[in-house]
Amino acid sequence: MRSNQKKAWLFLAPTIIFVTFFSIYPILRAFVMSFQSGPLINLNWTGFSNYQYIFSDPEFWRAIRNTILYALISVPVALAISIMLAWFIFSKVKHKSFFETTFFMPYVTSTIAIGIVFRYIFNGEYGMLNFLLRALHLPAPNWIDDPSMSLTTIIIFGVWTSLAFNIVILMGALRNIDPNYYTIADMYGATGTERFWRITMPQLVPTIAFLLTMNIIAAFKIYTSVYALFNGQAGVGNSATTAVFYIYNKFQIVGTPGVAMAATVILFLIIMFVTFLQRKMMKKIGGR
Amino acid sequence: MKKIRWGTLVAYIVLAIFAIITVFPFVYMILGGLMSFRETTTIPPTLIPKHFEWSNYAKVFAQAPFARYFLNTFITASVTTIVSLFNALLGAFAMVNLKFKGKGVVQVVLLSLLMVPGEAIIFTNYNTIARIGLLNTYIGLVLPFLTSIFYMYYLQSYFGSISQTIYKAAMIDGASDWEYIWRILVPMSKGGLFTVALLSFISGWNSFLWPLLVTNEDSMRLLNNGLTSFASDAGSETQLQLAAATLTVLPILILYFIFRKRIIRGVVRNDLKG
Repeated sequence: MRSNQKKAWLFLAPTIIFVTFFSIYPILRAFVMSFQSGPLINLNWTGFSNYQYIFSDPEFWRAIRNTILYALISVPVALAISIMLAWFIFSKVKHKSFFETTFFMPYVTSTIAIGIVFRYIFNGEYGMLNFLLRALHLPAPNWIDDPSMSLTTIIIFGVWTSLAFNIVILMGALRNIDPNYYTIADMYGATGTERFWRITMPQLVPTIAFLLTMNIIAAFKIYTSVYALFNGQAGVGNSATTAVFYIYNKFQIVGTPGVAMAATVILFLIIMFVTFLQRKMMKKIGGR
Repeated sequence: MKKIRWGTLVAYIVLAIFAIITVFPFVYMILGGLMSFRETTTIPPTLIPKHFEWSNYAKVFAQAPFARYFLNTFITASVTTIVSLFNALLGAFAMVNLKFKGKGVVQVVLLSLLMVPGEAIIFTNYNTIARIGLLNTYIGLVLPFLTSIFYMYYLQSYFGSISQTIYKAAMIDGASDWEYIWRILVPMSKGGLFTVALLSFISGWNSFLWPLLVTNEDSMRLLNNGLTSFASDAGSETQLQLAAATLTVLPILILYFIFRKRIIRGVVRNDLKG
């Protein structure tokens, strides 16, 4: 209050300039473009027609349906597995950092490169996965080339890729739990299961809420892993198309940027809504 | 006693299974990149090649300009990291150590922008870059990423833990802000800055959608985009695709194994404080 150090603006200048041009301006521009039609060089105002178009476009609804299904299945499954693994590493095992290092590997590696590897593991004829399934006398579906399987395939890949971040964050949260809780629980003769459900889980709730939001947001933006698994396509016959795929397609390939931006605005609103819900939830829990 | 041992055993088995599931694709990628074409497509699948076909790598380099992709990716990731870290450093310094009107507004605006998904602005940014005529240039590849609110926010929380009295003492001793930043702030937060640099470099290395939009000339492609186009061109040559994938992943994997503790700690800190 007592002083106004104007030189601060000098230090902030690069950030503010870049943010204005490459964050604030593009948001406003996307909103404006969603009400315009025509090619990029010659856009003209057409009101809500782009929104009318996407809402009556079955392709758009398929993209939204796939994206939502993907988020609703892969996120809870990955989270449940992550909680189990993090708890095992934290409570039962000696080589904690070895397992942590191992499980974190997918986080730092390129989704594209690993997606290509998975394309071979998933291969219907000579893939490793189907070889194992056949050896166990289980059905061996055609993961990549069967349109009805493509969503399942990206969900499996999605779970595989998202374990890394979840486990590491959960490990961080587990380490922050006051060890005295466990000491006292032991004094009263609590079993392992009781320790987990009565102490660990309640303490993890804020972290789980945080991971749930982060994962759902990431799931809504899924693009790269589909691209890698299906070699640049959204599955056979676009069966695994997602929201970002739809946007990319309308923007770059079909050449209707207005339609793409209308879809972007919808995606943006969904993600904002999820973030908003998380804020509400966190306030209710009262963690931070 | 026996009960506890059983629990531990189950835990080890489950962890081992998932560890194998996690590591297997990497192992398979490296081994597959050294197989002959026949070995990659036999039934039952080959796991360990009879003899290592190092010539696969020579073929990869001969069929696509991977050396060029490496160079492009390295330049792009490094420039993005250095410049955005520099900008974040200055910005975070101002937000932590200086008092000025409008600080609250700046903070609120930046924090709300942090929630904007990159995919929502990437297409309009493409539009901007295309209009300035920067498609297929290094500047076009890096320009929108030269500032990172995320890392600035991270550094802010890092600098916040350094006592204000150090700044005041430096000022009394007649140091300028610029001297304070380079002589005191940077040396004191070397660890944090280095972690941010690592994370930024890794995400730059793995970027895909932006370079896909702004480059279409082969000579300007980055590794991941080169890899996908190679994967569709090389068609059925599985072993070459796996070799190319190995080339893309290995540098980062090595970096990861060297700095694993730092990277993991950095990610945990990043996201819980956010």
